Amino acid sequence: MRLAAASTRLVATLAAGAAAVWLAYRLDPNDIPIYMNMGLAALVAIGLSLLMGFAGQISLGQGAFYALGAYTAAILTVGLDPDERLINPEAGIAPWAAVLVAPLLTALVAALVGVPLLRLRGHYLAFATLALHLILIAALFAEDSFTGGQDPGLIIAKPLEVAGFTMGGVGDAARNLAAVIWGLVALALLVGVNLVRSRAGRALRAIATSEAAAAAAGINVAAYKLRLFVLAAGLAGLAGGLFAFRLGFLSPDAFPVIISIEFVVIVVVGGLGSVYGAVLGAIAIVWLQDRLQQLGTREQLLGFDLPVQAPGVFRIGVFALILIVVMLFLPRGVLPALGDGVRRLRRGG
Amino acid sequence: MTEFVQLVVIGLSTGSAFALVGISFALIFRTTNIVNFAQGAFAVLGGQFTVWLVDKEWPTAAAAIVAVLLVTAVGALVGLLAVGIRGLTTPLASLVITLGVAFVIQALQLLSFGDRPHTYPSISDRVWTVQGVVVQPQYVLIAAVTVVATLLLTLVLRRTIIGYALVATSDSVRAAELVGLSLRSVAVVTFAVSALLSAIAGLLLTPIQPVNYDSDVGIAINGFAAAAFGGLVSIRLAFVGGLVLGVAQQLVVGYGDAITPQARQYELAAALVIMLVLIGWRSRKETVT
Amino acid sequence: MTPLLEVEGLVVRYGPAIAVDGVSLQLDAGERVALIGPNGAGKSSLLNAICGLFKPAAGRVRVAGRDVTGHSPGEIVRLGVTQVPEGRQVFATLPVEANLLLGAFGREFRGELLAATLRYVRRRGEVQERLDRVYELLPKLHELRERPAGQTSGGEQQMVAIGRALMAEPRLLAVDELSLGLAPLVVQGLSEFLRRLNEEEGVALLLVEQNAALAFELCERAYVLEAGRCVLEGPSAELERNELVRTAYLGGGLEVA
Repeated sequence: MRLAAASTRLVATLAAGAAAVWLAYRLDPNDIPIYMNMGLAALVAIGLSLLMGFAGQISLGQGAFYALGAYTAAILTVGLDPDERLINPEAGIAPWAAVLVAPLLTALVAALVGVPLLRLRGHYLAFATLALHLILIAALFAEDSFTGGQDPGLIIAKPLEVAGFTMGGVGDAARNLAAVIWGLVALALLVGVNLVRSRAGRALRAIATSEAAAAAAGINVAAYKLRLFVLAAGLAGLAGGLFAFRLGFLSPDAFPVIISIEFVVIVVVGGLGSVYGAVLGAIAIVWLQDRLQQLGTREQLLGFDLPVQAPGVFRIGVFALILIVVMLFLPRGVLPALGDGVRRLRRGG
Repeated sequence: MTEFVQLVVIGLSTGSAFALVGISFALIFRTTNIVNFAQGAFAVLGGQFTVWLVDKEWPTAAAAIVAVLLVTAVGALVGLLAVGIRGLTTPLASLVITLGVAFVIQALQLLSFGDRPHTYPSISDRVWTVQGVVVQPQYVLIAAVTVVATLLLTLVLRRTIIGYALVATSDSVRAAELVGLSLRSVAVVTFAVSALLSAIAGLLLTPIQPVNYDSDVGIAINGFAAAAFGGLVSIRLAFVGGLVLGVAQQLVVGYGDAITPQARQYELAAALVIMLVLIGWRSRKETVT
Repeated sequence: MTPLLEVEGLVVRYGPAIAVDGVSLQLDAGERVALIGPNGAGKSSLLNAICGLFKPAAGRVRVAGRDVTGHSPGEIVRLGVTQVPEGRQVFATLPVEANLLLGAFGREFRGELLAATLRYVRRRGEVQERLDRVYELLPKLHELRERPAGQTSGGEQQMVAIGRALMAEPRLLAVDELSLGLAPLVVQGLSEFLRRLNEEEGVALLLVEQNAALAFELCERAYVLEAGRCVLEGPSAELERNELVRTAYLGGGLEVA
């Protein structure tokens, strides 16, 4: 019976993945950017959801890994030496290789940071990862000869090409990129689900129930937590690398601290530990983000004059409120709670 | 040599502010097992409210007092939220709730005060020079207030019944409950006291380091690092940790200036590295989960 | 006369596990009653549910006729039932006297700390009288009053816990595992004290105890709990002679300390 359920899930996920890829070619061109954003957020959220759900750790630095992935891919592509970039358009490595290196680097950084921290309770990692995000942004601004800083920023002239397909931010290239992103999301889902169902998954679930009991049973709790952290960082780095080619241009402004918080909101809404929830949460929150952005840039709302900081206020305030409300009343996540509600209705109250 | 002493002097004063925030973290954590992410926000609000009132022509002292009272009230409210629903809210959930609160406070500040840094004049324009070392009266004020506040807090915890109640709750939750103490009420008072301390730290720091709506994150990280020095439970060690952190930061940045002109940007990196080292060292002794 | 404590069909659950499965008991004012049984029988869970730490899944608890099922520990303290917890649970970093004062302070709690402090301060005179009385009853505590409670011996800590519970002027003292981890001589002294307390001050006693011999000696009546259910009850003298009880809990005739 379990095998049947597993293969149904496999087929369903593959089908959904195929549909998502197909959708990339059918959507209105105006919707492609947000479609890509949803997919990228989903990639990050899947990793974070596993970390928060099973390791009981909060990373407030997924935005940092996202940024690190983006800048790694970009800098490797345009060339490490800032002077050479101006002279030699062939400097740097092939974009597709850069995109592959990005997650590896972020995973490495995560391993370094994680080893001392993951043995301790969740709040240490929370603060350390937040600090990481802030430091990274400071470094991106400070080392502006290397990173391009805010002005002029980092322009990626080389297109991302694989087997003749171009992936970028506009036109057909955008569709290709969106397709690739959602294909990767489906892959990440499968990896995530497989992880949870495997022997490692059983260990993870034991850890999630009671770390003390799991440790007593001989499970290397710290090692599993580290692996989840590294996986989450890698996924974020991969997403970041693709993001760089979506934008074609990078500046530290694109990675404010709030995006780390937004990833947490996505996971909290989707349900800690639920990879499918992470994807649905990503879709919902990115959509909400878009609406808030549009609302915030208006001059007036309900008759009130909106201050110029309105977009920031909306974005930060609304997501923070969601975090509070969900954590208080639906700590297992909005989607799991809805699922419970539906199940109760079906059973007839 | 003078440069070294100068850096130490500055470090002791910023470190005092970190110490107060760190003590606030430790107070809440040992009583309620909650890590209050909004601690930095309390500090920033202390500064913002003071500036707002001073800009309305209020005398600085009055502005400061009212600001602190306002933030204390906010703290009590946050405590109520953070404790959450009995049986449903885990400590990690409380952390996330306080995270949300910190950012709601950011949004409200952005709305009310805008996104420019704010400051008010320090206690005195005079500048003392002792053997070539510049000492601003504000530095002395911060340090003095921190020492006094820490002593008062320790006194309250050791000599008053309300202090006993707070300590009892961290010594044995079960016995505290059995004796009749309400954990929720203890949490609210603890949060209020912590907010008070942090607000003082924040408003005293503002003349030296202007505050902005998003300054809370940096302060929270520094305060947390100070508290981590004492395992998040020891008030004495949080005090020491804050001072050590402040001085270490200034030294790293001050001497780092020779290596790279961007050293100041890495102030926070110094805090993080110190915290990581401290935590790594601690975790060798205890694999606490 | 209404019993001081009535428990009817109490059920206590921890998640899916049932710790107390429909237990009823009764205790009159001034009585000494014991709850005995093996480890894990649910004795402590029963006591904690009575004292308001857990909300029972079913059943009723009444103190002097008032229904207190599911009420907070503070309310139950105010009705005159206090507990000496298992393992003493003293406030280790606080001096002994602070421990005792908190026993009185907790009674002023009505959900809010600052109001409680004001009430306490106003009644400070009465509290001091009560403290003096407890020092009279337990002179050792007066000697130790400035010592951090965590730095006293096991027996002394037990005295601190008892003194703390007495500060609230209880009508019923619930003691969870009096003898755990203590030397027999110390236990004997404490047992004597509790008997005198009961006979002279009229404080009723509900004793949860693994050491059945001690329980029978100190208490007039007892309930035997096994796997969350009450399997036997009656006067101690009768239970002592009961074959099953003797084999299971009294070493089958051998003197077990």
